[in-house]
Amino acid sequence: MKKRNDKSRLVAIVLVSIAVIVTGAFFSLGSLKEGDVVGAVLGSIIAITILFFAVIVFVRGSTSLKEGFPLHDERSRKVLEKASSKAFYVSLYVLLGIGFVSDELIAFRDISQATSVAVGVMAILFAVFWAYYSRREI
Amino acid sequence: MKTRIKEFRAKCGMTQEDLARKVGVRRETILFLEKGKYNPSLKLAHDVAKALKTSIDKLFIF
Repeated sequence: MKKRNDKSRLVAIVLVSIAVIVTGAFFSLGSLKEGDVVGAVLGSIIAITILFFAVIVFVRGSTSLKEGFPLHDERSRKVLEKASSKAFYVSLYVLLGIGFVSDELIAFRDISQATSVAVGVMAILFAVFWAYYSRREI
Repeated sequence: MKTRIKEFRAKCGMTQEDLARKVGVRRETILFLEKGKYNPSLKLAHDVAKALKTSIDKLFIF
């Protein structure tokens, strides 16, 4: 039963990752059509970063399941909790910083682009903290 | 925190993979436990001690 849950979770991770990557690709193409090169590059960077981490998560997960190990255990859950709380905390400051410089340094096309960048920043921060805490004592 | 998991595991003739499968965790968790870089829950400590046929106080040195 638990193994079936793990498989369903892995499939869900893949589906969500694909949805995010496709959205990022559409966002980049839309930005490029409107002549917004910065938006297109940002969208591509976010999509590629998510693709990179999605591949790592999928390979690790499917290897674990094949070898008979669970997808998550108490340590990996602790790592996820710590990484997500740290990413949220740090992203508050990053978003505050983006807010300060948005008028002078970065000219966002509209609210949706600014929101996408904010979500992308949070996702990248989460991935970085996850990679960090996966290798550290917790 | 120091642990004697590696020592007891060797006595039982188990690999890290065997122990991980027996207690239902990932192999990395056993690796971090052996290095003393992870403070397990009481349940996991109990499960590991049971799998290695010993007691928690002999396995973990605080």
